[in-house]
Amino acid sequence: MNEKNNRILVNGNHAVAYGVKLAQPQVVPIYPITPQTPIVEKISEFQAAGEMVVELVTAESEHSAMAACITASLTGARVFTATASQGLMLMHEMLHYASGARAPIVMFNVNRTIGSPWGFWPDQTDSLAQRDTGWIHYYCEHGQESLDTVLQAYRVAEKVMLPAMVMHEAFYVSHALDIVEVPAQKDVDQYLPAFNPLHRLDPEIGESWGNTVNQEMFYRHRRDLGLAMESVIDVAQEADTEWQELTGRGYGIIEKYRCDDAELVIVTMGSMVGTARDAVDNLRMEGVPVGLLKVKLFRPFPTEAVRQALMSVPKVMVLDRNFAPGTGGFLHQELKAALYGVDDGPGVHGYLTGVGGTNISPNNIAALVREAMSTTPIASSVWKG
Amino acid sequence: MGYQINEEKVFNSGHAACPGCSEALAMRYIVNTLGPDTIGVVPPSCIAIISGPQPLSSMRMPVYQTTLEASAASATGIARALKAKGNDHTKVVAIAGDGGTYDIGFQSLSSAAERNEDFIYICLDNEGYMNTGAQKSSSTPYLAYTASTPAGKPTPKKNLAEIMAAHRIPYMATATTGYPEDLARKVAKAKGIRGLRFIVVLTPCLDGWGLADNAGPKVSRLAVETGVFPLYEVENGEHYTLNYGSKGTPINQYLSLQKRYRHLNQAQIEEIQIEVDNNWQRLHRKFST
Amino acid sequence: MKETFKEVPSIWTTGWTDILNTGTWRSAIPIYQKRLAPCHSACPVDGEIPTWIMLARKQLYHEAWSALVVNNPFPAVTGRICHHPCEGACNRGEYDGAVAINALEQYIGDLALSEGWTLPHPTIELDQRIAVIGGGPAGLSCAYQLRQLGYKVTIFESRPELGGVLRYGIPRYRLSKEIWDGELKRLLALGIEIKVNHLVKANDLSSLERDYSAVFLALGAQNSKTLPQFSVDDLKVFKGYEFLERVNRGEVPQLGQEVVVIGGGSVALDVAGTARRLGSQVKVLALEAMDSLPAQPDELTESLEEGVEIYAGAMVQKVNLGPERISLDCIKVTLDEAFPAGVLRPIPRSGTEFNVSATSVILAVGQETELTGWDSVINIGQSLVKVGADLATSRPGVFAGGDVTPAERFVSTAIGQGKKASSSIDRYLTEQTSDSQSLSKTENSEDKVAYQEINMFYFPEKARERKGLVPVEQRLQNFDEVRISFNFEQTQSQSERCFSCGNCVECDNCFYFCPDMAVVKDSSLAEHYSILDQYCKGCGSCVQECPRGAVVLKEETGR
Repeated sequence: MNEKNNRILVNGNHAVAYGVKLAQPQVVPIYPITPQTPIVEKISEFQAAGEMVVELVTAESEHSAMAACITASLTGARVFTATASQGLMLMHEMLHYASGARAPIVMFNVNRTIGSPWGFWPDQTDSLAQRDTGWIHYYCEHGQESLDTVLQAYRVAEKVMLPAMVMHEAFYVSHALDIVEVPAQKDVDQYLPAFNPLHRLDPEIGESWGNTVNQEMFYRHRRDLGLAMESVIDVAQEADTEWQELTGRGYGIIEKYRCDDAELVIVTMGSMVGTARDAVDNLRMEGVPVGLLKVKLFRPFPTEAVRQALMSVPKVMVLDRNFAPGTGGFLHQELKAALYGVDDGPGVHGYLTGVGGTNISPNNIAALVREAMSTTPIASSVWKG
Repeated sequence: MGYQINEEKVFNSGHAACPGCSEALAMRYIVNTLGPDTIGVVPPSCIAIISGPQPLSSMRMPVYQTTLEASAASATGIARALKAKGNDHTKVVAIAGDGGTYDIGFQSLSSAAERNEDFIYICLDNEGYMNTGAQKSSSTPYLAYTASTPAGKPTPKKNLAEIMAAHRIPYMATATTGYPEDLARKVAKAKGIRGLRFIVVLTPCLDGWGLADNAGPKVSRLAVETGVFPLYEVENGEHYTLNYGSKGTPINQYLSLQKRYRHLNQAQIEEIQIEVDNNWQRLHRKFST
Repeated sequence: MKETFKEVPSIWTTGWTDILNTGTWRSAIPIYQKRLAPCHSACPVDGEIPTWIMLARKQLYHEAWSALVVNNPFPAVTGRICHHPCEGACNRGEYDGAVAINALEQYIGDLALSEGWTLPHPTIELDQRIAVIGGGPAGLSCAYQLRQLGYKVTIFESRPELGGVLRYGIPRYRLSKEIWDGELKRLLALGIEIKVNHLVKANDLSSLERDYSAVFLALGAQNSKTLPQFSVDDLKVFKGYEFLERVNRGEVPQLGQEVVVIGGGSVALDVAGTARRLGSQVKVLALEAMDSLPAQPDELTESLEEGVEIYAGAMVQKVNLGPERISLDCIKVTLDEAFPAGVLRPIPRSGTEFNVSATSVILAVGQETELTGWDSVINIGQSLVKVGADLATSRPGVFAGGDVTPAERFVSTAIGQGKKASSSIDRYLTEQTSDSQSLSKTENSEDKVAYQEINMFYFPEKARERKGLVPVEQRLQNFDEVRISFNFEQTQSQSERCFSCGNCVECDNCFYFCPDMAVVKDSSLAEHYSILDQYCKGCGSCVQECPRGAVVLKEETGR
């Protein structure tokens, strides 16, 4: 433990709670759901111990938790909540409402299968199904990244006035112990200034929010929301750069891993990135020219960065631990769209791997790489266990 | 009038309520009694229409328009944010219709009541989804016509007042627009209390009930005098106070003014009379202190 | 490209709806209107009853009295003996009993006498002189009103004292001499020339016309009608009005122990009550059935209490005049309903014959005018002076009113006619025209506030009180007044019962029930409120919630 930083052994969810504590949200509406619960339990502990001064709202549902988040944010408070799976599904209406309200809420979602049937397993379909709700989406690989990303998310959200959700996966990350470095409060305070929005629900200002609009106003409102979302690419990049300067840890909005001269680049998100990293290392040792592209910022989709990263790569293999019936893997779709129109662009294999939380080892991935390198991609995603 | 109405001009003219609207009248006394240091929450309802078309508001105080089921949760967020920011003077009020309260909003309301959140929740009860063209809600009374109960609603009105009192919140009251001084007094009383305060205000819908433009206050008073909607207060779920109760006015005087009851036969009117009498007697027992 | 126009924000509001114009939705707008109350409409003197009751309710008694004497100089008199059609018309009658208007008037009238309040003096003095012939209620009322307008007035009265029926006809137990003297004295203090014991005959008219700019004939009708069966020369047969006049002059006519009064009107019962006080047993024979006697119901009640026996629906068929007694052969009758009201056509019911014996009989079957000679100077029809709606006779500058004209024979009617004549005379003298357009609100009864327009929610039931009565035993001892005036508390609580039909009392209901805040209080306005044209949607809630019909909705066209 050095003067500046505090290294602790915690699971991924508790790492998130430490990040939240540093952000000093004033209102935290919560509702328990496995496997998210340790986040809010830890926050509750912090509050009980006097380490956090926060209004905890023990809501009766995730829907109400998100409803309370929106108004607390519009009243000028920094807010946080966490959820997973069904909870996120229940929030769906309010997710749209939050982005429409331009409320810079930060929410943590622990990716878990969505019913039916019931399951508790890592699967990103819950959050990916919310990709069109106007939220900024971050996917994290491990507890440290989750902690750091929560703080970056506040910085970005409050700058562009859009809500942000940060994801890591059930159990693989949420309940896995790891050494995590907790930044100093004064560093975080410097990085993340107090939230003080220009427009807010305040009798001294007297402005109301959300009266019925006409078509032209709605059009313009959506356009403005889109412009704000577009600006996230640069704002997020800058936020990560500054974070790196402050803590030494940076992640980029995407990360290229050993992509030099790669004839195939694996593209994936979340915990699968760590597994793929091992697979790439192993294959490189065998002399297979393979690289890895980690998509960290999923919304807005960093199309230009992805195109730059992949335009000269012959083949891309997307691994999706998620599934949209009828269109396949979410990331696969996004990649195909991102690369559309690139001259001599890569062939894109889409593999559905680990859907429902099935175990995918580095060896599985290595086998898939070999297969992909020797076959011609087809348009749709392929089930690969 | 026992209570002198003391209005601050917060609720504005120029709003889009129908001529003679009871909800607008109720909002006048709610908003003007609470004063400008208030933040309002309004879900979809006629109240939302009355709130004004963007960029104009009918209320000189901040109002947030939320989703239909989320009024109590949204008010919670504001109340907690104010507390977190050290603001102990601004009041928070949610003003919702009966659909948004008895039905889809009941879950969040019940939870906020259980947590004793520090805001006032006012239900403007016009006994149906009137904003969408008069469909049945769980507040619609027995045998009343709505677009979704064309033969008359087969089940009685949910007794939300008693349900809310059973939450043992600090203050629960019923009010109606025919008694503006009573309504204003109750809002003023609620304003002076902390915790979850609930007032259900019967606001006859001229269009949905089939009333003349000038009949709102009259029908409202008949609802009280027939015993359909007694005006009372409950403090901490225990202490009951009757303000205006049944005068034994026959129910037909109330029903006959409303087109939503014109399909009734004599036997049905008598059935309603018995139900109303029973409800009144059941309630009346609680006023013995 | 930089946008050069200011866009309307798509979420946060920037202003308020009060810049919008919801008044364009409206097809009708409320109008504040002082409207005619039924009591006012029925009042023979056109009295603004809701106004003075409202003032009394506020304990502004002097103001209340001042409002009363605008139309009637004798509130203490009418507060006792007015037949008060106002109460019959009172909208509250349909609810929980008419407002006790007459008793309230008496309280205020008596208070004025005891406080010594004086009538306002004329603000200008005119040179024109008016002759008033007859010092009864009509003549005095006309003289009063003309004096108020500044005219010089001379009253010619054939009797020694002014007052007519008030002085000579009404028994003292209904109107004490002190009250009458007080009311009269206050009136005469305005400066009215009096010529008593001065009988004006028809042939005096021309000379009067030389000296006076106008003449008001209020000769009255003091001649008692008789019945052919009775010989009025017999000392046992009295004429009703003369009998009352004699008693009021202090005489004690010798009636004997058993008196029969013929007649069913107020005079008959006054005669009966007077005879009772002179110590006689009294029977009253009336053609009309008990429930349709022309006397006022409370007069009947009092008579019965005082032991007067009423033989209603009875007719004298034959009079048997004896030396000491008169025997009357009577029969029960029903009245032929085929004849119009006022025309009595009895149908004897055979087998119902009965006999009544009396020591004296007093005929109280109505009074007639004495107009001998007058038909040569003005038009007379059916023994009454013919007048137009403005009370002008056929002779320019000569007006007539009261019992000498075809009018209901009530004191208050006479007072009202005197007032009406005064304004006709004034108009005659100032405009030299006397077209008979609508002369008073009383005749504009279309806009009268109906019972259905009263919002009963604002008027919890509250019982009507009546004047108290002196116990019967005491009543018969003397001629003291029998009806006991309201006290202060009764006056206050009973004045609160007035609906103030059509008369705004600034209750603010219209203000409080407007969902659009389109009603503005403005104490500088006579109507107390104004309507904001920009916002009023014309719902009519203010009209409906006005407890008293003082706001009406007016259709708007061409908007």
